Amino acid sequence: MIVILCLDDKKGMMFNNRRQSKDKFVIQDILKLVDGKKLFISSYSESLFQGLESKLIIDDNFLNNAAEEDYCFVENNNLKDFSEKIEKIIVYKWNRIYPSDLKLEITIQDWNLIGRFEFVGNSHDKITREVYVK
Amino acid sequence: MRKRFISLALLVIFCFSVSACSFKDESVVSSKSISVSDIPEYSNSAYIKIDNNIPSFKDSEMTTKSFEKYSELDNLGRCSVAYACVGKDIMPAEKRGTIGSVKPSGWHTVKYDCIDGKYLYNRCHLIGYQLTGENANIKNLITGTRYLNVEGMLPFENMVADYVKETDNHVLYRVTPIFERDNLLVSGVQMEAKSVEDNGDGISFNVYCYNVQPDIVIDYKTGESWEVGNEKSISESDTTTYILNTNTKKFHLKSCSSAKNLPDKNREEYSGNRNDLISKGYEPCKKCNP
Repeated sequence: MIVILCLDDKKGMMFNNRRQSKDKFVIQDILKLVDGKKLFISSYSESLFQGLESKLIIDDNFLNNAAEEDYCFVENNNLKDFSEKIEKIIVYKWNRIYPSDLKLEITIQDWNLIGRFEFVGNSHDKITREVYVK
Repeated sequence: MRKRFISLALLVIFCFSVSACSFKDESVVSSKSISVSDIPEYSNSAYIKIDNNIPSFKDSEMTTKSFEKYSELDNLGRCSVAYACVGKDIMPAEKRGTIGSVKPSGWHTVKYDCIDGKYLYNRCHLIGYQLTGENANIKNLITGTRYLNVEGMLPFENMVADYVKETDNHVLYRVTPIFERDNLLVSGVQMEAKSVEDNGDGISFNVYCYNVQPDIVIDYKTGESWEVGNEKSISESDTTTYILNTNTKKFHLKSCSSAKNLPDKNREEYSGNRNDLISKGYEPCKKCNP
């Protein structure tokens, strides 16, 4: 599976059961990357994709159900137990520090960085998209 | 780091005078704060959740009209609660101006090689500049460590600022500096926030950020500081001989005329720390002000 997630500078993902941040340009970029394939999300992420339901598979157990090459947008899941199943990670970096109590528990520095792209967000000065493979 | 018990119970019903950013519109706001008798000792985390991370705003406070209010300084020159409903319309459009003219209570200009940027203390905005655009407002600046500023408060300010920018929603936002007794340096700050239009779905937190700096020992009474291993003994340095009136529970300097006239049965000599005496229920004499 191909995991897509957002991180702050301390590998944070969530605080107090809420996403650290959001930016509609990230969502647009994700949809461009997925390029018509279905995107797995949890019900928590549904509000980010309003009006785009036809492009989604909303499934709170998607990390278990996704197959090879399926795109999975991960916000509120711990990925520690799914490391073996992940073939690629696409990270959107906020380039900011937010509070966090759920962090990415995969050491992506051990993976191979194969792509980096920076863009200005709707509400963020600089967002960096990085792509890692094993 | 010495253990610091914080009597937040004192803040249960906390009334304070406030003034709007125009400094003309005065009003009074009541703030129900947390009822916690102490805060755990700092333990390698810049902030901790309090009250299950639930802010204490009342439903009646929820508004989509932006405002900002800052308390008057107390008689020791210390800041108190700062409160705002943050909206895009009051966020700054310009870069921050200079704030170096302000010397908040407990201020010392002191540098250590072990600190990023060297300076131990920053002028910390209670409500961050990126939220309400306040520059050198003395009612909104406290003496905070670099660690409090960058690791403690800034992440929360970032989260709120970016949420407001992205959604054009409003966020109720309150920062309460917590001072222990008559200390000039704040022990930490309580930060509360709740997004209005989505009733907290986007932003909701209630945290305490520690005013500490790793590897530095701080005397919160004055703001003086030492590198770990190089500190003077605070208890020794603060040792003074006082005369106690065991009847009225007042304490005096030895030279105070009231002390000289004390009957023997109520008189006791005490050598030690002033704060220890206060914690034992004694009050300083208003005449000699020990």
